[in-house]
Amino acid sequence: MTDKVGSSLDWGALAPLRLRARGAAEGIWAGPHRSLRRGAGVEFAGYRAYLPGDDLRFLDRHALMRHGTRMVREFETDTDRSVRFLVDSSASMAFAGSRAPGAKLAFAAVVAAAIGWVTLRGGDRVALDWLADEVDPLPWASGAAAFERLVAALERGEPRGSIDDAGLARLTARLSRSTPSGAITLVLSDFLDLPESTVEALATLSSRTRLVVGLEVLDPDELDLPYQGPVRLRAMETDLVVDTDAPRARAEYQAALAEHSARLRAGFVRRGGRFLRAVTTEEPAHVVRRVLELVSGGAG
Amino acid sequence: MSFLVGAALAIGVLVALPLVAHFLRRGRAKEQPFAPAALVKAVQTSARRERRLEDRALFSLRALAIIALALLGATPLVRCSRLSLSRGGAGSLAAALVLDDSLSMRATPGGASRFERARDAAARLLDSMREGDSVALVLAGAPARVALPATTDLGAARRALRDLQPSDRSTDLDGAVSLARSSFGDARADRRRLVVLSDFAAPALAPADPPAWTPLPELAQRLPDCGIASAELHGTSVAVVVACNVAEAAKERALVLVGDASGKKTPLDPRAGVQTLSLAAATGTKVESVRLTGTDALAADDVAAVAPDALAVGVAVLADETAGGAVTGGPPLVEQVIAALDRELRLRPLAVLPDQPSELEHDALLVLDDPTGLGPEARSALTTFAERGGTAVALLGPRAETARIGVSLEPFAAGAVRWEREPKASGAEPGSLGWLGAEASSLADLGAHGRTWLDPGREPGTRVTAKWSDGAPFVVERDLGRGLIVTITLPSSIAVSDLALRPGFVALVDHYIEAARQRRGLTESVAGSAWVFGTERPRIVGPGGPLAVEQSLDRGRVATPALAGTYRVTLGSHEEVRTVTLDPQEITADPRPPPKASADAAGGPGLELTDVSREAALFLILLMGLELALRTRRVDARARFR
Repeated sequence: MTDKVGSSLDWGALAPLRLRARGAAEGIWAGPHRSLRRGAGVEFAGYRAYLPGDDLRFLDRHALMRHGTRMVREFETDTDRSVRFLVDSSASMAFAGSRAPGAKLAFAAVVAAAIGWVTLRGGDRVALDWLADEVDPLPWASGAAAFERLVAALERGEPRGSIDDAGLARLTARLSRSTPSGAITLVLSDFLDLPESTVEALATLSSRTRLVVGLEVLDPDELDLPYQGPVRLRAMETDLVVDTDAPRARAEYQAALAEHSARLRAGFVRRGGRFLRAVTTEEPAHVVRRVLELVSGGAG
Repeated sequence: MSFLVGAALAIGVLVALPLVAHFLRRGRAKEQPFAPAALVKAVQTSARRERRLEDRALFSLRALAIIALALLGATPLVRCSRLSLSRGGAGSLAAALVLDDSLSMRATPGGASRFERARDAAARLLDSMREGDSVALVLAGAPARVALPATTDLGAARRALRDLQPSDRSTDLDGAVSLARSSFGDARADRRRLVVLSDFAAPALAPADPPAWTPLPELAQRLPDCGIASAELHGTSVAVVVACNVAEAAKERALVLVGDASGKKTPLDPRAGVQTLSLAAATGTKVESVRLTGTDALAADDVAAVAPDALAVGVAVLADETAGGAVTGGPPLVEQVIAALDRELRLRPLAVLPDQPSELEHDALLVLDDPTGLGPEARSALTTFAERGGTAVALLGPRAETARIGVSLEPFAAGAVRWEREPKASGAEPGSLGWLGAEASSLADLGAHGRTWLDPGREPGTRVTAKWSDGAPFVVERDLGRGLIVTITLPSSIAVSDLALRPGFVALVDHYIEAARQRRGLTESVAGSAWVFGTERPRIVGPGGPLAVEQSLDRGRVATPALAGTYRVTLGSHEEVRTVTLDPQEITADPRPPPKASADAAGGPGLELTDVSREAALFLILLMGLELALRTRRVDARARFR
């Protein structure tokens, strides 16, 4: 399956996507997402004092008659926790270092498919959009067939091209309109060679009821610049070429990368979003758990 | 240079190829896609220099490999000047290498000793030999001997050569060269090669065919040396024989007794030659060695062990002055002959034959002139004396017939002995006395009026070494233990025959004195002299450790000490100390440089066609291995870039 689609993508040990994704999602509980909001649900959540304006349907008359106090009953509301995957398909996502099991895009696809599996098992919906390619988005879908459609769409993804500010604006405008309340937008990208305003634009998708999570996917070679001696480095989405001495430039590079990640994190968090980093040598299941914990309110 | 050699060496021009390749690939570093390239700072690297050095190593290896390849193509046509045998055409060679292992070869002109240089040269010559060539190794330390008979097994020759060690022997170069010449067998005359590796501190070699080639004439350079030939304790003084080859070597040098508390130095007479000095030892001092102060080219002979007293050969003589004396008076003739032979002898006339073996323990030779017989105690003492290496000579005369009851002449003669009057033969057969030398002829007519009739067949192990002219036994020998029993069928009495008046008798006595010296191995001998032990099994420990004992066909067990010093010889429960000394002539002998012709021509090497393809191929393989290792290292380094 890896061969028939995305021939320019190095799937490596991450193929086949369907099995890898299910394997990563296996054992992860897929229960309903309990909302922090109390409202017109069916499961009793407790009492509180009546306040003017409360719906009188929930006024507990038995408490009023027994204690002479006006109390209202509260119920937990099951909210919509649909997940939209916004996967970066720019050329830089094709990078696969010597130690990585596959390309960054392949790793992102496995993580997205696994989270999609968990989401669909919980009865929620999933959707897929490409960050650098508007072709073939997957609209909101749910049910058993939705996973197959999600996997097929991910397999068709090819790391090519880039996105500019205009494309980014069109994308965010479209996503704003089509993202329902309570939905989670999971951005899987290396956040390299993207427009300056990318994080700011994506963060606008975050609101009180909608969550944006940035997942920075990096190759281990990108973490430590492992090359020896003199090397000529060529950027994958621009014409930039850097002649450098890897051992001498390593520390400075790592500092720059850390600063870059810190800026990304700050951009997401400022607008109520979450951010975390994943390295392609990590177990996808481990990354899925971290994402779900982050979405459930853990530290990002 | 032939066309082929030129063409092969022309391959070396290709050495420019790696250089060109090196310059072509000395471009930019390999481009590597890297997504976060924008975060990497450009650094002008000094590693380019490292890269250049690495390339240079690779370039050097490849260039050397091409040169080795060119050399390989040109061999075996390459000429080189290393030491090798001249082949002079196709066909195998028969080589004899004469290696001098005498004392003078231990001299060190600087760095390696003469012997080590000679051995190295021999090893190089062996390396130059080919499959099918035969080689013999002959040693020129006295006595000359064959270390390895002619063989085509060059590996065995190399092993034999490695095992050779220098010695303190004197030089017998002439004998060694003769042995070497006899080792060629039926090899063609033009394929014979005789190589002499010596300092030539010996008489000049007689010209013969094949001529000797001396590849190391520089060994014949005279080096100043003084050495202690021997040191012998006499009472409280030590007689030291010192030999110097040049007067300069003796200047400001002195002898010191090691262990003498006084530390007194006895200066040498500053002259060349042999000098004997007497050094007085302090009372109560146990002197074990004597040392020569100063230094010279040969340090090994500057210290010598002091031999114990009474090292001279002791000769006990039992003779009747009346019957065996001369009309002019004086001691019996036998004693006069012995005394005239060697002043180093210690002559001890006996009145009666000793009953105890201990009474003969300091004697090596016992001569009985016309004994009447031996009693049981005397026979026992005599047997013990012989078994410990003594030599007993009986000159049986008419008294032998008058032996009393209970008295016999054993072990000289078994059973009753008959005295034959007016025998048919008047003298010995000179042909049977060939071992005696030219003097044997003087015994042909002795005018004997009688003789002892022996039946040698009655005693097992008896051999007749000389006969009367009518075939009767004249001299009979028999080994007894380590010793020798000799029976001569005439007494010394001039009333019976003229035996004692003939030069042959002197030679006969001298022969048995020497035999006694060898049999007893008496305590002092020159390095290289053999010690004969007959059927006994000695254990010998000397300066070089245990000394090997070899089985000789005619003399039984024989040991040959090659190093000077003190040896402990254990024979059963009996232990004795022997001292091995140096031959002064070996120290004083002047090296006689070989004629220039023998150093250069006649099988000399000069610039020879030498097959170095094996070395070139090994070198090429080594270079290729190194090149592969270097490339593998670089590939590994590149793999880390991915």
